[in-house]
Amino acid sequence: MTASTSTLVVGAGLGFLGLAALCLSLGRHHQALWPTPPDRRRVLGLRVAGWTLIALSLAAAIRLEGWNFGPVDWIGSLTGAGLLLIVVQSYRPRALLWLVPLAAAVTAAAALGALA
Amino acid sequence: MRQGFRQSMAWLHTWSGLVVGWVLFAVFVTGTATYYRTDISRWMQPELRREATMSPEALAASADLAVAHLQAHAGGARTWFVTLPTPDRPLVELFWRNRPGTPPGHVLLDPRTGAPAALRATRGGDFFYRFHFELNLPPLWGRWIVGICAMVMLVALVSGIVTHRRIFADFFTLRRDKAAQRGWLDAHNVSGVLALPFHLMITYTGMVTLALMYMPWGVTAAYRGDQSAYFAETGQITRDRPATGEPGTLAPVGPMVARALATLPGPLERLTIVNPRDANSTIVAVFEEPHGLSHEHPQVAFAGTSGAIVEVLSGALRPAAKTFTTLVGLHEAHFAGAALRVLFFLCGLMGSAMVGSGLVLWTVARLPKAGAATGFGWRIVHTLNLGTIAGLPAGIALYFLANRLLPLDLAGRADWEVRAFFGAWILVAVAGAWPAPRRAWRLALAAVAGLFVAVVVADAATACGLWDDPAWFLGFDAALLGLAAGFALISHKVARFAAPRRARRAVPEPAPRMEAA
Amino acid sequence: MNRSSSLSARASVAGRLVLAAGGGYAVAAFTTALLSLTLPMPRAEAVTTATLLSFPVMVSIVVVAFAARSLGRAAAIVGGLALALALALRLVAGSPPFGFGS
Repeated sequence: MTASTSTLVVGAGLGFLGLAALCLSLGRHHQALWPTPPDRRRVLGLRVAGWTLIALSLAAAIRLEGWNFGPVDWIGSLTGAGLLLIVVQSYRPRALLWLVPLAAAVTAAAALGALA
Repeated sequence: MRQGFRQSMAWLHTWSGLVVGWVLFAVFVTGTATYYRTDISRWMQPELRREATMSPEALAASADLAVAHLQAHAGGARTWFVTLPTPDRPLVELFWRNRPGTPPGHVLLDPRTGAPAALRATRGGDFFYRFHFELNLPPLWGRWIVGICAMVMLVALVSGIVTHRRIFADFFTLRRDKAAQRGWLDAHNVSGVLALPFHLMITYTGMVTLALMYMPWGVTAAYRGDQSAYFAETGQITRDRPATGEPGTLAPVGPMVARALATLPGPLERLTIVNPRDANSTIVAVFEEPHGLSHEHPQVAFAGTSGAIVEVLSGALRPAAKTFTTLVGLHEAHFAGAALRVLFFLCGLMGSAMVGSGLVLWTVARLPKAGAATGFGWRIVHTLNLGTIAGLPAGIALYFLANRLLPLDLAGRADWEVRAFFGAWILVAVAGAWPAPRRAWRLALAAVAGLFVAVVVADAATACGLWDDPAWFLGFDAALLGLAAGFALISHKVARFAAPRRARRAVPEPAPRMEAA
Repeated sequence: MNRSSSLSARASVAGRLVLAAGGGYAVAAFTTALLSLTLPMPRAEAVTTATLLSFPVMVSIVVVAFAARSLGRAAAIVGGLALALALALRLVAGSPPFGFGS
């Protein structure tokens, strides 16, 4: 895996997790997985987690690729992650239950590989 | 228009998007294809054998052969362009402009012998590249039309952002179960908002690539209109050396190539030879862009008659010039490796989807009530929609198909491929006038899917013996099959969505009501 | 909607279209020329900066032309801006260096 590809995987993984958290903080999408809309504390928790993860994906892209390519890679990977998320939660919302841990594992592996 | 700001922007978004939508769709689709321009060119000339890196001596020798060919065949041209061989494309490509009004010269040579290369004639990926900003029209017309459409696109994007009041709440929403209009609106919103940074970037940077043509007045005011003086002062090109009118003889080019390679690092991409028969002739050796976002080619300029170096350009742009070249670089995305390129390609597809779904949305939102006849304007928009959205991909598929099926020695073969492209496009557009909209959509999109499958079959049947790297060709064919699957899927969806709900409720049997209209 | 009000609505749309295209381009062109001559940086840099800014300028004029409450108001804003820029350009350039400033 080249340096740039692992940056994209890390960025897309963190971005996917962050966008998934933001998505689930919305009543309609929360109810696709759980019977009730999220309560206030849960909304707040998911939103904070979501934006933190997205900020982390930007930080990771810049850490790995610098200020020149980092933002480009970041926006590209975030767009790809968003597309995947929207397709999944429109057609197979329950797949998020195993995609989220999978994304976390892949991200961690790619991040370790990139930093090593 | 005495309503609020948001309503006036919604109006602006709807109508600005509609009037330029068809051109924009074509620009987006061909631009997206251009991310794989070199791959398309390679696929369309399967005879080509890739090679190991060429030595500087071999490169210099091929440059000498190129100039010999040009001396013999293009003596009257003011400028010669020589693209040097690379391992991926071991060919010498020559291009020269004759007098205005006559077609430019173009030939591919074998870099070892200097003889015309034994390859099928095709315009390859370059056709999409040029169509993307010239629409196959005379350059001046095409570029202005595309530029105006890009400006309107920028207006449509800005007004669309203002109009879309629930950006965050709807960000992840594709409602598949609701009314057709809702579904198309969601598709339009998602493809627009998700790739919004890309859409804004690509539209703005697209205008920047031709900024001096669209907005020359800064150069007019500060340089009295001398564009090449401006470009030279920004450090993007070497200084102009005007012709003296005295005849001169070009010194051998091979040694200049060798000196250029010794002067600057990085692979040499092409030579530009200006006023080749003048005493003040100039040869500019242009290198490939170094790795970076910015579109800047290091260059070495030689005095043509003596072979002395007159100027070396290598980096060191000032901030505004650097910004300009970075914007151009972002548009072209030459820097993108395989993975990032896939993402750019996906963003381009989302742009095409945004424009296409917006166009369809216009007709779906204005479907006549059950039993009422469709208006003339509605039918025009519908026909143009179908003709563009299904017609252009059909044209692309037939362009590929013609490449594999036309006889290799056909005179004007490359032009026949282009005619196949437009022929298929026009045919589908005419079929779009069929009075049963829903069935027309389904059949046209299914036909596109079928055509892409036919391309793969034709490739395997006629060219698989020529593949130098079967895995690569199979990958390209797999991508074409992916496109076919995408069109089959959309054909299936459209059959569901384009049915007007009101009409469907009025007529319980599956036969679509629209067919009677 | 009766005939005369729909006619005036159409005239208003046509007017705004002309303002957006012609006025928008004129304001963008004047801005580019003016900034090219006045920005405190090397000549080539000033021209590049001004040219890059011209497209956002044009977009904002188009938005103004369609968002203004009435056609008259839109014409006053866009026309006033264009006139002010043309005058400024005349002052800066001395004798106008090109056709449309004169």
